[in-house]
Amino acid sequence: MNDVRNAVDAASALPETTQPETTQHRHLLDLHDWSVDDVTRLFQTADVMAEVMQRTIKKVPALQGFTVGTLFFENSTRTKLSFERAARAQSADVLSFAAGGSSLSKGESLRDTLKTIDAMQADLYVVRHHAAGVPYQLARWTDAAVVNAGDGRRAHPTQALLDAYTFRQYFPGFDGFAGKKLAIVGDVRHSRVARSNIELWTKLGAEVALCGPATLLPREFEQFSGVTRHFRLEPALEGAHAVMALRLQQERMQTGLLPSLAEYQARYQLTAAHLAYAHPDALVMHPGPLNRDVEMSGALADSDRSVIDRQVAAGVPIRMAVLYTLLVGKR
Amino acid sequence: MSRIVIRNARLYDPEYDLKYDVGEGSSPPHPNDPTNNTATNTADLYLNDGIIEGVNLGGDVDESFDAGGNLVTPAFVDLHAHLREPGQEVKENLASGLAAAAAGGYGTVVSMANTTPVITEPEQIAELIAKAERLGQARLRPAAALSHGLKGERLTDFAALQDAGAVMITDDGIPVRDAHLMRRACEYAAELGLVIQTHSEEPSLRQDGVMNEGTVSQRIGLPGNPVAAEAVMIYRDCEIAHLTGARVHIAHVSSARGWAVVERFKEQGAPVSGEVTPHHLTLTDEAMAAFDPVYKVAPPLRSAADVAFLRDALARGVVDSIGTDHAPHTRAEKDRDMLDAPFGIGNIEVAFPLLYSELVTTDVVTLAELLRRLQRGPTDVMDWSRPNLDPGSPADVVVLDLGTSRPVRPETFKSKATFSPWAQQTLRGWPVATFVRGRKVYEREGSS
Amino acid sequence: MPTLTPKAQLLDDRDLERALTRIAHEIIERNKGADKLALIGIHTRGVPIAERLAGLIARFEGVTPKLGKLDITLYRDDLSEIALQPLVRRTEVPFDISGHAIVLCDDVLYTGRTARAALDALIDLGRPAVIQFAVLVDRGHRELPIRADYVGKNVPTSRHEVVKVRLEPIDSSDAVELWEQA
Repeated sequence: MNDVRNAVDAASALPETTQPETTQHRHLLDLHDWSVDDVTRLFQTADVMAEVMQRTIKKVPALQGFTVGTLFFENSTRTKLSFERAARAQSADVLSFAAGGSSLSKGESLRDTLKTIDAMQADLYVVRHHAAGVPYQLARWTDAAVVNAGDGRRAHPTQALLDAYTFRQYFPGFDGFAGKKLAIVGDVRHSRVARSNIELWTKLGAEVALCGPATLLPREFEQFSGVTRHFRLEPALEGAHAVMALRLQQERMQTGLLPSLAEYQARYQLTAAHLAYAHPDALVMHPGPLNRDVEMSGALADSDRSVIDRQVAAGVPIRMAVLYTLLVGKR
Repeated sequence: MSRIVIRNARLYDPEYDLKYDVGEGSSPPHPNDPTNNTATNTADLYLNDGIIEGVNLGGDVDESFDAGGNLVTPAFVDLHAHLREPGQEVKENLASGLAAAAAGGYGTVVSMANTTPVITEPEQIAELIAKAERLGQARLRPAAALSHGLKGERLTDFAALQDAGAVMITDDGIPVRDAHLMRRACEYAAELGLVIQTHSEEPSLRQDGVMNEGTVSQRIGLPGNPVAAEAVMIYRDCEIAHLTGARVHIAHVSSARGWAVVERFKEQGAPVSGEVTPHHLTLTDEAMAAFDPVYKVAPPLRSAADVAFLRDALARGVVDSIGTDHAPHTRAEKDRDMLDAPFGIGNIEVAFPLLYSELVTTDVVTLAELLRRLQRGPTDVMDWSRPNLDPGSPADVVVLDLGTSRPVRPETFKSKATFSPWAQQTLRGWPVATFVRGRKVYEREGSS
Repeated sequence: MPTLTPKAQLLDDRDLERALTRIAHEIIERNKGADKLALIGIHTRGVPIAERLAGLIARFEGVTPKLGKLDITLYRDDLSEIALQPLVRRTEVPFDISGHAIVLCDDVLYTGRTARAALDALIDLGRPAVIQFAVLVDRGHRELPIRADYVGKNVPTSRHEVVKVRLEPIDSSDAVELWEQA
């Protein structure tokens, strides 16, 4: 069909089609079944949303009549805010459930909690939970769409999408992910950000080099396709086009995974000097919140190589695109 | 008392290794069978006053059951089931659990002691036995806890518990952390001739693991429990068995490396034996990627290589017993998240059809070997008399339909846990009827 | 999806060029020149129409009007009902529309819902002095109180018919055709 405009004008005329190579997904739980074309189209939609967010009036009526429920069993002001902004910027109604876990700890099952919330009839839930798999469980129990906003160590797909989207936007002379190298440094073991970025970047054709102490970088990661495992920064960063440091939780020291903070800083803290190993145009990334001078030197985070602020800025357009992509065309 | 005949029975007495068509070749005549029973030739088995009376005797009976040419063999023995009474009746109780056992073809069940309160007193044992007798379902032979409150600090009164009817000492559900306490328990049990069953997982290695540690756990981001946690604890427990001479039964061995330890000690003549479960023989850790807590079990489902190794061990005849580790929970408990949901699978009603379908019809093991691990295997572990069809033996028999395929329908379970990892899976080998103490305690709906 | 069969050609390439030329003159006349004039094409085929009109106006007046592209997908009134997801395209209006005379350009005017969405989209971008609407074909069947200021050709149609517009460079040739649903 070559005439999109006619179709809009004619309820009786030609149904408009999605591009044939993309899939209409019900949920965004992880990126496993999202094809490269699906991701590419999502990025294109995010481009449109980014333009909307640059206007004086940062609001479009696209999701009028839809209700988005944010269901954060684990606190995250930043991500929750980002999703709520993404929903409201498209005129969706937002229901915010403060699901701090109090009722669950009293023995209510997850399913019962959802049943209560489902009575509010949201069209889409944005879910964060400290246990891996909860968004998958909820997706089995509700007719609404489910977006994983971070489940345990499992996945944080919108973070990975905005990381790759930022790279695509800002890497000088970007010509695709093939042949590109992403280095991820730090606590890979506990990181859903790392898992989702590994899934996405390798899918898009990039190589992912992981770096960290063995206690935080399990050897099973060697078996993932397109992934290499390093204990030293130099080989991990060599030729990397993007270098991402992961947040180091202070409790890792208490549980014996690290001997001391000083040792971690000495071996794995990213500084401007380390960028000498990387590609001359390498971007410096961090999923936030940043522990300044722990996983990354403050100077590097503030340098012109850092796109940390741009990652944050990309969060809303990417999440707008996710909401749009999952909700429109669902009926 | 009543006299019952099971007509048209294809009798299989494991103690005579009658090899009708259970996978081991020719069929010598049954010594008790005047008509020279063969695979194509069925017989009538008479049960009288709770014991087996004999074959093809004739005479008046109070009840007649037509086995329809199905296999009739001694009912199974499960050394490992969580019946949840007292205190956790919302999950299971003696009535539902023993009925479920009978529906699974089991005539005898050893119940675990991790109830609320924990089974630590002789009176509790006596009460459980009395109640089970009144129920008249599968026989109950309760285990008692090794330590008070399963805390691993202070031994229970083994002798008094034994006198009250406890047949096994175990803290199953919780590993005995303190090696010294395990040593003392074994010394004491050895003197009394009691079997100690272990839950061998080293807690400091297991940590907060909810599934097998490996590629799958790292991929899906659930905390892992390494094989090493099981293997080192099995090693410790086997060494203590060797040291003390106690009969130690290693429960639910889940991994190749864990089983290799058991087998090595067995070869050296240590007084140890090993159990595997239906789920560890049929499911892998890949199942956890569906994020359904129904697959969450301790020890965890392992890799495909581990499953293959355990199957091979079973085929080689070195596995002592198959115990179900039937561990029912409520649906609501299993509808929690993967970290919070409790460990355990309810499986006693599907154990035989599952193993028959997945292992026997696929030629992994013979039917005779599978039956050995459900009949003679467990009784040898306990030093009980072997199940058989001799006149004078307990009239505990099961009628098994090896031909008909049926889907697993959890909603029809006698157990309170009416959900299953195998729901809707089509299986063969369903029990048609189970007789315990000479009385029919289970009959499949629509079978007569 | 219904199958379509061609029924008639409404405009050939020369007719189309003449229609655009006339519209360009009308725009200049109505707006008294091309100062503060901006042409904004509605994706997809409104975009080349706007571009061509701008070229013609530049030729006639020596002043090139500002150009923009508008995607109205996010303003459609049926997004919560449709079964298939439309592709969203970039809106590119690289100037402040406030105070400008805006001519929205589209290929076909039908129910008027696209124009309604376009007006909302445009007003979100600023406060133009005036908004006018130019279309190549008006095929009737309005569902909203909308009319075009500049029309290339009025074509009476039935609802079972489809007006297909071909425009270079999106298509290989210029033409307007009437097709019928089988």
